[in-house]
Amino acid sequence: MISVRGVRKSFGSATVLDGIDLEVHRGEVVSILGSSGSGKSTLVRCINGLEKLDGGRITVDDFDVSHPKQLAEARKRSATVFQLFNLYPHMTAVQNVTLAPIQVLKQSRTQAESAARALLDSVGLGARADAYPAQLSGGQRQRVGICRALAMKPSYLLLDEITSALDPEMTAEVLSILARLAKTGTTMVFVTHEIEFARTISSRIVFLDKGQLVVDLPTGQFFAPDGGMSKPRIAQFLSKMRKD
Amino acid sequence: MTFDVTILAPHVPFLLKGALLTAEACALALAGSLVIGLIVAALRTSSSVILSRAAFIYVDLFRNIPFIVQLFFFFYGLPEIGIYIDAFTTGVIALSIAGGAFSSDVIRSGILAIDTGILEAAEVSGLSRSVIFRKIVMPIALRTSIRPLGSVFINLVLTSSILSTITLNELTGSAKIVASDTFRPFEVYAVLLIVYASLTYLVSLAIGALHRHLNRDRMPEVA
Repeated sequence: MISVRGVRKSFGSATVLDGIDLEVHRGEVVSILGSSGSGKSTLVRCINGLEKLDGGRITVDDFDVSHPKQLAEARKRSATVFQLFNLYPHMTAVQNVTLAPIQVLKQSRTQAESAARALLDSVGLGARADAYPAQLSGGQRQRVGICRALAMKPSYLLLDEITSALDPEMTAEVLSILARLAKTGTTMVFVTHEIEFARTISSRIVFLDKGQLVVDLPTGQFFAPDGGMSKPRIAQFLSKMRKD
Repeated sequence: MTFDVTILAPHVPFLLKGALLTAEACALALAGSLVIGLIVAALRTSSSVILSRAAFIYVDLFRNIPFIVQLFFFFYGLPEIGIYIDAFTTGVIALSIAGGAFSSDVIRSGILAIDTGILEAAEVSGLSRSVIFRKIVMPIALRTSIRPLGSVFINLVLTSSILSTITLNELTGSAKIVASDTFRPFEVYAVLLIVYASLTYLVSLAIGALHRHLNRDRMPEVA
């Protein structure tokens, strides 16, 4: 379980997270919605230890991310996919995917490579496994990014606006992979602007506004008129997003 | 006066020996300054204030002292306090230290240019700091800094001629001897010009090849 308790985070005088409480259990797909600047990405960056908390506590399977030693354990349990892919530019797709399994999970090179090739194959990149990131399209790069995360066999997959830098066609190819993962019971924390897609794969939807958690509801209830939609801020957000 | 290089024929083996010595000293000093450059660049970009400060002082110090003064200090100064090092070793060490100061600055800017997102991806995947440095930071920094490093290395080859001032008969040293033996400085130094130009050309060829190898993923764009 990922447990977020009273988390606060400021950058200078700007409060980005203002007392967030959230729990993500294994097998859940939790989408985090909210306008830009609402703190969604910062929340993910707090969970994987890239940002130091100013208050509160986050644990991943009971490992506190604010303690350096426990953070290493917490990081073994989660994997992150980034908005801008962040692939290692000097390594081929397969090398990107195998680096951490070899170095951190101590897998043998052959073992890691055959697993990586199988993963890349499953996202339609079998033939591009030996290409460098610069030789791949955005959608292909993000698929490599997903494989790199999955190769660590994480209990929790953290997805930080992973389609925001992609055109609609590439977005579709990446989302179809997530839909498949959701069906296999992969736990996901999905920060996104893809509302309709979030609706189809999420078990729960969390809405952040100005660093505060407005609602945390099962997906059906979130979209119900007497549920999340009864909150003016959410109704306004959804109507705007749907117009775009 | 006629230009007649054949007059140098009997001195070719001696000059070759000098050229070989220069090549050896340069090869060792290139390796030495690359290693020092990498270590110092790592220290300068480390989060430890003491380490980065110490590295900065080293770079600042050795970039601001003429090489010949550093060399004389090592070769003629140190024996005064009981430290004797032979001329060749002194030359290689001095070149490595001076070259290391310049290399580290070039490599450091390569490190600072790395997209932080890439480093964050490495960090959250649980890689240790040493693995991140060896497998990610260093190779990516070298991709961008290999060309400017090439200029540092070429300078190093040229600077190696100063080693002739500490009794080392490398290329320049042996040329001086031949020039005074034959009274034909024009021919001798004409040959010397060509040999140094060839040596540095070899270095730039090697750097070019290395640059292409390190940037092999985007070769179509990089001519």
